Amino acid sequence: MRLLELIGKEWRELAASRAYWLLLVMIGPLVGHAFITAVESYADASAGGALPQGLSPLDGILVPTFGAYDIAVTLLFPFVAIRLVSSEKESGALKLMLQSPASMTTMLAAKGIALIAGWLIAWVPGLIALALWRIYGGSLYAPELLNLLLGHLLRVVLSSGIAVAAAAIAKTAASAAIATLGFTVGTWALEFIAEGRGGWLHTVAAYTPTAALRFFEQGLLRLNTALVMLLLGVAGFALAGAWLRDSRDRWKKTVAVVVASAAIVVAGSLPRAAWDLSENRRNSFSESEEAALRQIHLPLRVAVNLAPEDPRLADLDRNVLSKLERILDRVEIDYTSRTRSGLFEGDRYGEVWYEIGGRKTMLRSTTEPIVLETIFKLAGVAGPAQTGSETYQGHPLAARPAGAAWIYYLLWPFAVVIGALLEFRHRS
Amino acid sequence: MSSALLTASGVTKRFGSKLVLNDASFDVRPGELLGLIGPNGAGKTTLFECLAGLMPMDGGNVSHREMFYVPDGIRPWPDQRVEWALEFVASLWNRPRQIAESLKLEPILRSRIGSLSKGEAKRFLLALGLLTPHPLLLLDEPFDGLDFRQTRDVMALLRTIPAEGRTLFLSIHQLSDAARVCDRLILLSSGRVVGQGTLDQLRVQAGLAEGGLEEIFLALT
Repeated sequence: MRLLELIGKEWRELAASRAYWLLLVMIGPLVGHAFITAVESYADASAGGALPQGLSPLDGILVPTFGAYDIAVTLLFPFVAIRLVSSEKESGALKLMLQSPASMTTMLAAKGIALIAGWLIAWVPGLIALALWRIYGGSLYAPELLNLLLGHLLRVVLSSGIAVAAAAIAKTAASAAIATLGFTVGTWALEFIAEGRGGWLHTVAAYTPTAALRFFEQGLLRLNTALVMLLLGVAGFALAGAWLRDSRDRWKKTVAVVVASAAIVVAGSLPRAAWDLSENRRNSFSESEEAALRQIHLPLRVAVNLAPEDPRLADLDRNVLSKLERILDRVEIDYTSRTRSGLFEGDRYGEVWYEIGGRKTMLRSTTEPIVLETIFKLAGVAGPAQTGSETYQGHPLAARPAGAAWIYYLLWPFAVVIGALLEFRHRS
Repeated sequence: MSSALLTASGVTKRFGSKLVLNDASFDVRPGELLGLIGPNGAGKTTLFECLAGLMPMDGGNVSHREMFYVPDGIRPWPDQRVEWALEFVASLWNRPRQIAESLKLEPILRSRIGSLSKGEAKRFLLALGLLTPHPLLLLDEPFDGLDFRQTRDVMALLRTIPAEGRTLFLSIHQLSDAARVCDRLILLSSGRVVGQGTLDQLRVQAGLAEGGLEEIFLALT
């Protein structure tokens, strides 16, 4: 039962970490501000004549509220994870632990479990927000909520792996923090560069922490995204394992982990299973349209001459291409624009070519029904007679965030500070 | 004589172009109190870390690594209390926590490890080492930081350990301490083993008719 003893040790170390208590203090107001703003905006939209179909608690409440956790996991949580490894290195405890009967895998598993447990405590303000939303009369759709929570959980696994690896490789905690933040900024740059480019760069960029979380925020559970996030997080811990012990084959292990990670991204991206768990089926065509599309077995090739900064490309990607990729057996997309803005690209700019079984046609429209009709014609498949019968009704709610400010700006910080004082007093 | 508990042959270690351990060979016999003697920078800590498997060697072999190494100058888990650390280490090896009494740790059991004085920290580390079940214990500078009375008490305690069936291998830079406590000595200078044996054997190796460890060390280096 050494794992339990080690988890107990890591938990004590986590509770002794000022970085962790600081995270807990800050997460309350962060989540609270996001929640209060979201509830007020949702109320304004509900009362202000917005179409009810456009009022989804996922977009209006859940994503902005839990978005605070994305900030925390990017800017605060890495320090907590780094501390759990660096303090052991710097204090010399690691030299004792490396001689203990516990294997490196068990030691790192204990750290990972303690970090996730610590993060789940940080979720309390978010869970309070959900309870408040229900008390206000708000609607929650369990599949999309659980999917969002899964995304945030995988996000923290990925973040833990990166931070723990950085702490193991870097000589000091400060260097590890810089490396972790550098990695985050690097992933943002990668996303920016890969936007609208297609190819392998686009594939890799889909697994950066922010991009991967976005799928969950859209109510989409993609098996490949979940797998890659989980396995890359584990790869971070494996890399840490290679560096925490000073051995001759450290670099060989590093190369092995890096190669395995690349293989994970490639292999993990292959399973195409995906489930649209959003209540309003935003990631899906209507059921009748999907039934018709499933009759197409030939590959669909799409050549898009739209630049990354062109809003029509975002529309086409979100409303048509990503949905087609989930339904059709094979979709190949080629982004042919060579500039970011699309200015001065000539007459053929804006063309989108669709090809099935050697038959091609060009469209400039990015509107979903028009594109679908074109694809059905190209494939020689009869489109559905009637569409849009399962329209999402929406959940308008003009409620005010009563009591939330008290909880998030006063009670939560107060409770955490008291908890921290008791903890540190107990140790002194 | 029973077979060696540990045999090191040709242990070599470089840091870049600097040769820190140069073909060090020796053995550790069961039940003895062996001292690794050398000035600061002689390579004692590096040798211990290589023996314990915490640092890769560049050459040589170490057979049998059933040992526990207690480093010098560490403060493990500085935010935790001494009693917790003792219980934790004891629980890792399923051992009873009895050593506190013999090392006079009772007054500091509830202290934070990070707040211990140098002498207290040394006794705490020694206790951690003694809690492990390994037949061979490597202690790096066990008397460093202890006052005269503490040194005498710890020496008395260490002298009892071989009788309990464990072997001690101590690195010591104070030659007077080493001569008082060790059964056998290994002299290390600039990463090389320049002599090994009992005090009498070392005198013979040094070609001295009389003299203490200091004279022997100077004669051999």
